[in-house]
Amino acid sequence: MSLTQALNAATAGLQVTQQGLSVIAGNVANAQTPGYVRKTIDQLETAAGTSIGVRSGAIGRQLDKLIQTQLRTQTSGASFADQLSSLYQQLQDVYGTPGSSTGLDTLFNGFTSALQGVAGDPSSFSAQSTAINAAQVLAQQINAMSGGIQSLRGSAEQGISADVQAANNALQQVSTINQQVQSVGSADASSAALMDQRDKYIDQLSKLMDVRVVQATNNQVYVYTSSGTQLVGAGQNPAQLTFNAQGAVGANSLWNSDPTKSGVGTITLTMPGGGTTDLIATGAIQSGEIAAYLQMRDSILPQAQTQLDEFAAKMSQSLSDVTTAGTPAVAGPLTGFAVDTAGLQSGNQISLTYTDNASVQHKVSIVRVDDPSVLPLPQSTTADPNDQVVGVDFSGGMASVVAQLNTALGGAGLQFSNPAGTTLQVLNTPAATATVNALSATKTMTSLTSGNSQLPLFVDGTNVYSGAINATGPQVSGFAERISVNSALIADPSKLVTYSTSPLTASGDPTRPSFLYDQMANGASTFSPATGIGASTSPFNGTLTSFLGQVMSQQGQAADNANNLKQGQDVVVNALQQRMDSVSGVSIDQEMTNLLTLQNTYSANARVFSTIQQMFQTLLQM
Amino acid sequence: MTVMGVSGTAQLMTQSLVDLRSQLDDLQRQLSTGQKSDTFAGLGVQRGLTVGLQSQLDAMSGFDNTITNVGTRLSVAQTALQQIDQSAHTIKQTAVNSSFAIGQNGQTTDQQAASGQLDQVLAALNTQVGDNYIFSGMSPDKPSVDSTDHILNGNGTQAGFKQVLSERQQADGVGALGRLQIPAAVGSTVTISEDALNSPFGLKLASVTSGLTGGGTVSGPTGPPLVPNAITVDLSGGNPANGDTVKLSFNLPDGTTQDLTLTATSSATPGANQFTIGATTAATAANLQGALSASVAKIADTSLHAASALAAANDFFNVDATHPPMRVNGPPATATSLIAGTSSNTVTWYTGEAGATPAINTATAVVDPSQTVAFGMRANQQALRNAVENIAVFATTSYSAADPNAGDQYAALTQRMGANLDNPPGTQKITDIEAQIASAQTSMAAAQNRHTQTSAILQNFLQSIEGVTNEQVGAQILTLQTQLQASLQTTALLSKLSIVNFIPA
Repeated sequence: MSLTQALNAATAGLQVTQQGLSVIAGNVANAQTPGYVRKTIDQLETAAGTSIGVRSGAIGRQLDKLIQTQLRTQTSGASFADQLSSLYQQLQDVYGTPGSSTGLDTLFNGFTSALQGVAGDPSSFSAQSTAINAAQVLAQQINAMSGGIQSLRGSAEQGISADVQAANNALQQVSTINQQVQSVGSADASSAALMDQRDKYIDQLSKLMDVRVVQATNNQVYVYTSSGTQLVGAGQNPAQLTFNAQGAVGANSLWNSDPTKSGVGTITLTMPGGGTTDLIATGAIQSGEIAAYLQMRDSILPQAQTQLDEFAAKMSQSLSDVTTAGTPAVAGPLTGFAVDTAGLQSGNQISLTYTDNASVQHKVSIVRVDDPSVLPLPQSTTADPNDQVVGVDFSGGMASVVAQLNTALGGAGLQFSNPAGTTLQVLNTPAATATVNALSATKTMTSLTSGNSQLPLFVDGTNVYSGAINATGPQVSGFAERISVNSALIADPSKLVTYSTSPLTASGDPTRPSFLYDQMANGASTFSPATGIGASTSPFNGTLTSFLGQVMSQQGQAADNANNLKQGQDVVVNALQQRMDSVSGVSIDQEMTNLLTLQNTYSANARVFSTIQQMFQTLLQM
Repeated sequence: MTVMGVSGTAQLMTQSLVDLRSQLDDLQRQLSTGQKSDTFAGLGVQRGLTVGLQSQLDAMSGFDNTITNVGTRLSVAQTALQQIDQSAHTIKQTAVNSSFAIGQNGQTTDQQAASGQLDQVLAALNTQVGDNYIFSGMSPDKPSVDSTDHILNGNGTQAGFKQVLSERQQADGVGALGRLQIPAAVGSTVTISEDALNSPFGLKLASVTSGLTGGGTVSGPTGPPLVPNAITVDLSGGNPANGDTVKLSFNLPDGTTQDLTLTATSSATPGANQFTIGATTAATAANLQGALSASVAKIADTSLHAASALAAANDFFNVDATHPPMRVNGPPATATSLIAGTSSNTVTWYTGEAGATPAINTATAVVDPSQTVAFGMRANQQALRNAVENIAVFATTSYSAADPNAGDQYAALTQRMGANLDNPPGTQKITDIEAQIASAQTSMAAAQNRHTQTSAILQNFLQSIEGVTNEQVGAQILTLQTQLQASLQTTALLSKLSIVNFIPA
């Protein structure tokens, strides 16, 4: 035991105090730094023989791993909910303010009222023009809404692109820091700071997508997707995400697992070894911002588009389609019906009802197609769940039509024939195993003056809308983008009244406008269950207004739910964040108290030092 | 709440203050717009209903617009109908009481007044509401009737009523024997026959009744289908006694019937409608033939004059899509049939639409989801046409002061007009049309009342979903304000509570 030993101990004490002070200074300085975790420094006593000293230990990070993991999971959920709610809010803006003058329902009502005006005063040119104008505004609004939906999908596409870049950056940083901290045995100030950084990048990553983080030895952290694919592993480069963003997103550009058919981008994961995985096809991303974008782009917005398309299609068809009942046909003992197929457009249907020998009634929808590559048609082609859909290629003439129908339905005890011209006749077979109950054809009018009240008021570009099914997809897909008012009608609004040129319809004849008004106000249609309204077994049947009500209700409810989810998630994340902060955050009060203690310790050590100094002087003056 | 110098916490703190602030902003928006939300999402579970309610409200307002427009039209229509009815009534009154005192132009003052009434009626029939001619059926953009001048005097190559009337008068044999042939007696037999088979013109033989006691017989009318109708009076059985009669009935072109009774007299100077019993039956027959000729000539110049004018009016005015105006076919005096006039040779007075749809149904309006009112009219409807026809005939015919039959002609016409304008049973009256229009008006008034009530209910419902009450929002704002103030103050207070502030420098 000597004075020198005491001197050394006091010197060590001063050094340790200084290091403690620097840690406090660092804590205080970083109090507002995002992702900063409060640091503490260990003090260890040293003993060598009779000498006792002190030294600094490792710099520790005050972290509760459990809360951190929970927080990351919930952060993924919260940013998913946030993003979804924000996109839903933008979608709500597409639908407009309830009752506003640009709302779809307002414009639809406006069009209906305008038709009512024409019906009340058929010969009035101004009433006719008003109705045409209202129809144009309505069509333009549907176009604009469809454009709004697709532009939201475009934004989602861009959002995914940016998020994928950010995720790649985060993965790269995590991987780099992993390598940097690998060699450090015990934690020092710089490695603690690096780990703070790494946590921050993982936090960023978990905002974008849901990841699982595994803490490994040697300060390493491995990152996996929630489905278990490794993103960052030991001692190698991170996996790379790529996203092939598509510039133009339209109603017909939909995601498909087959890259040649996909109209929008997909997220591909490239392993360090070179293998690739489609993260969308495997459903690897279930939460976080990217998942919200994906859900919007591939499910919610396409459904909103489908609803608009269906609305536009049914509105158009209810004004343009004429159903003609077949005439009874008899050939000897055989009975049945005949119907003229002239004027049947691609997508138009012939409806056949027959009863088989077990007294079960069957309904068959014979759908005209002009492109044989789309055959056979799926049963979902018609909204009716109880009918059998038979697609028939009409491009080969009546003989071919009859042959196709006999092939498809000959087994049911029915025989088709073409007695003359374009007439299609269906009779039961001599065995009389079936009875034909009814046959009717529904045709889309192509002329404004067909002699029928129906007219192609809304058209698809230069074509009528008949629900055609082509190799490029059904006509209904994206119809909302293209619906417009027949230019011939814009040029001559009096065709809203004149349904026949020979004999010429009287200018005051309300037949056609009354029909149009009635169809808009009261005409019921069956809407495709693909709209999310109604089920495939019981599709929604109602007026256009009631369908619109259902759409607004469903979309509003979904947006409201998303907002509620967001608020719920925010509360959870906030609570976890507070708990996290109470452990890892810097409390100025605490640091100041420690500072006072250290100050006193330093003074005491210095006092020891000066006392030893005096003692040495006393010794030397002896 | 603790204030910790940690970024996350500070952010949370700020976030909750910002949230409060945005809630306050939203409430302010609610207060100023009166709307609960600017998206469907914020409307609550009844959001879907708003679309249906709004559509119902719009439909109601559409119906009310229709009712207002149609209401105006119907009020105007009632006025026009009343005016036409009034004119017809006036003419009827004056015609019945009219005395025959013709002026310079061959017309009585009442007839001259009728010209003015005709103008008024035709003007009323051309009544427009907005751009719509209300008496044009389904073609409200076309005038209902041509001008009075064209109708009466023709238009270029198109003949007007005056020409049609003149031709018809000639064709009917007015002023002659009414297209009957009364040749000299052959032996004791007198024959009177129509001059053509199935001709629509002139007097038509309806029946003959014998009051002969001396053995004379009558037969006929017989003839068709091979030869024209003829009546034979055969006196070869013996001379009639004094006072014996032969009664003939004629059908006139306007559907009226005229009887002619010839009475045998022993007087050598027979009066009107009398014939002298001669020494022989042949002589009596000759006298009978003479008397018959004179009496028929008188009828042909009086009753037939009026009846022919009314028939001409019917030919000219009773038109629709399938019935063009009828003209005399060929030289009038010898014509035996009518022929449809064409647009190049005859004025069609009614210029509106004339289809198969009943007139009332040519204009309809839906005034309620389940109610349609019909209020169409055509100027050629029976009641309106009847008024025009009779007034036109009255206003057109003129008389000659030199004609001894003129007074009787005038009387025959006014008497017929009086009957026609009195709306014989089974024909449509102007008041019938007025009643139809009034019934539409009543339906519309009831519908409008219903709409007002329904709209109020729907509006209230919609308001309860979409709207907010100022009191409620005001209270919420106050609460939020208090909360926000408290939060801000606490935050400010807590931020001072740091040990840093208490360490001596």
